Amino acid sequence: MGQLPQVVVAGLMMGALYALMAVGITFIYSLMKMINWGMGEFYMLGSYAQLVLITLLLGPSLWFLGVPLAMVGVFLLGLAIQKGLLAPMFGPEAERRDEYATIVTIALSVLIQNLVTILAGPYQWSPPEYLPLVTIGGISVNGSRLAAAAGALVILGAFYFLVRRTWLGLAFLGAAQNRVGAEVAGVDVRRLDGLAFGIGVALAAAAGALLAPVFLVYPTNGAVSTIKGFEIIVIGGLGSLTGSVVAAFLLGLVESFGSVFISPAYQDLYGFVFLIAMLFLRPQGLFGERERRV
Amino acid sequence: MGELREVGTAPVPGPAAALIGRIRPAARRSWVVLPAALALAAPLLLSSYGVHVAIVALYYAVLGASWNLVAGYTGQFSLAHHAFAGLGAYASAGAVLALGFPVWAGIVVGTLAAALSGYLLGGLTLRMRGIYLAITTWAFAESFRILLAVNYQVTRGDMGLIVPLLMGTLDPVPNYYVFVGLTAGVLLLSAAVLRSKVGLRIRAIRDDEEAAAVRGIDVVRWKKFVFTLSAAIAGLTGAVYGHYIGLLAPSQVRFTEMAFIIISVVLGGFRSFWGPVVGAVVAEGLAEALRLSGEVRMVLFGFFVIVLMRAYPAGLVGLVAALGQRLGPRPKP
Repeated sequence: MGQLPQVVVAGLMMGALYALMAVGITFIYSLMKMINWGMGEFYMLGSYAQLVLITLLLGPSLWFLGVPLAMVGVFLLGLAIQKGLLAPMFGPEAERRDEYATIVTIALSVLIQNLVTILAGPYQWSPPEYLPLVTIGGISVNGSRLAAAAGALVILGAFYFLVRRTWLGLAFLGAAQNRVGAEVAGVDVRRLDGLAFGIGVALAAAAGALLAPVFLVYPTNGAVSTIKGFEIIVIGGLGSLTGSVVAAFLLGLVESFGSVFISPAYQDLYGFVFLIAMLFLRPQGLFGERERRV
Repeated sequence: MGELREVGTAPVPGPAAALIGRIRPAARRSWVVLPAALALAAPLLLSSYGVHVAIVALYYAVLGASWNLVAGYTGQFSLAHHAFAGLGAYASAGAVLALGFPVWAGIVVGTLAAALSGYLLGGLTLRMRGIYLAITTWAFAESFRILLAVNYQVTRGDMGLIVPLLMGTLDPVPNYYVFVGLTAGVLLLSAAVLRSKVGLRIRAIRDDEEAAAVRGIDVVRWKKFVFTLSAAIAGLTGAVYGHYIGLLAPSQVRFTEMAFIIISVVLGGFRSFWGPVVGAVVAEGLAEALRLSGEVRMVLFGFFVIVLMRAYPAGLVGLVAALGQRLGPRPKP
């Protein structure tokens, strides 16, 4: 059991990065009531942006500057995509919003992924490590993973501040609870949709940028983190930000323990087992409310 | 008064219009006869490679038709139809290679395996909002792909699993007729389902789940039924296709495959009976005619679909129908 602290630390570190993905998905869902199936592509774009920034412009030692820059770039892209493609679905003639959002974001993800493959090739790029191996209190930790987890916690903290401590955050929560109510109170809900989509995809880009040296940079590198993100939002309860964060850390721990005590080969499958178990035992998720319909 | 109105809206009674008017009932039936004849004669017109392309197009047409049944007509978004096809193929391969089943029995096993997984996934998620089905099937598909890649001792992973051939030959022509039969069978089956009371029930569910439940429709039961049926069709198709190409790999379960199914259905006409067939044939044919690389064609198709969804969601079939209405005799008021 000497390795127990190491297993826990490794799990929590991955959990912080999963939380970025999951919070991004949940945030977009809670406002626009749609799933962005292209989340993995925004993760991928974040990792490419970071690769270009730290190998060509900033240098490897300034990786922590690259992450926010990558986020800003993807945020702007998200804003444009939302305005051009997704905002029209809230128009007066729009019908069957789920269907439209699903098909358009899937087509978008195919488009982005293949475009990047054409432009940058199918190669795996490996950016320089952020930090060398670190030893804290007898536990040795991969430096880049530690840096990524620390970065993820900082970004999650900033997100928490934005949502819970600012007027804009209050407007987000209001619009998530009741769109019409928020609109009646004078909130420009359509502008919030754009911001929420931009912020959501920027969080995915942050995960991609932070994990670039760990999981490498290639056109389909977003798939694994996206699976975890989708599993987490159901486990935590659809639409619950708290649920997403808690479930992300839980999944990190489950994977970490599973890979030590069962088999590391199946690490990416424990999440699915967890998801199925949750749907079986508590379909509304950890923090979800039991669904009520008219 | 009535006579006047009729004269006013009738088309100019030229000889052509009169002819169209007269053959209209027969034309409806020839709608099916013409493509069927073309499909049967295709190997005479195409090279061996062309026949192979036609098989691939029919493979996507059947998968699209089965997906359209769930997504288009019932309003439940499954994102695992490529995985059901892969599961059917691998389960059939397993039954044939490990248990010594004949190929046809393997295909039955593959179909049942896909149906069972569809039934179980549906049972877990179809009580809740549609988004749960989409997320869970997506996670199932990706996890299945990872499982195939991880267990490379059994599945041979990306090296590919060699499986016995259905017709005993790689020659596409006999396999082509198998696929024509499969396509016809699946289309007849879905037409039968859509025309039955079940078809009315699932469309009622799509239009308004609560209203359907209030009218006494067992919503969850029929959603499960259609989803299981559709998964079974996908499994069957995947198993047959696997025994045609004789080589299985986890890359057949990449999400791009699902995206291509969706793209071809939307291209042809989402929620229209012929949409999946038209879409798959046009998409496959176009890609071959233009000799595009895989990436370029996915970029173009992704772009087309986005434009289509924004501007003309009825797709190619909708376009043809609209044109037909313009050209043909107008219905009397």
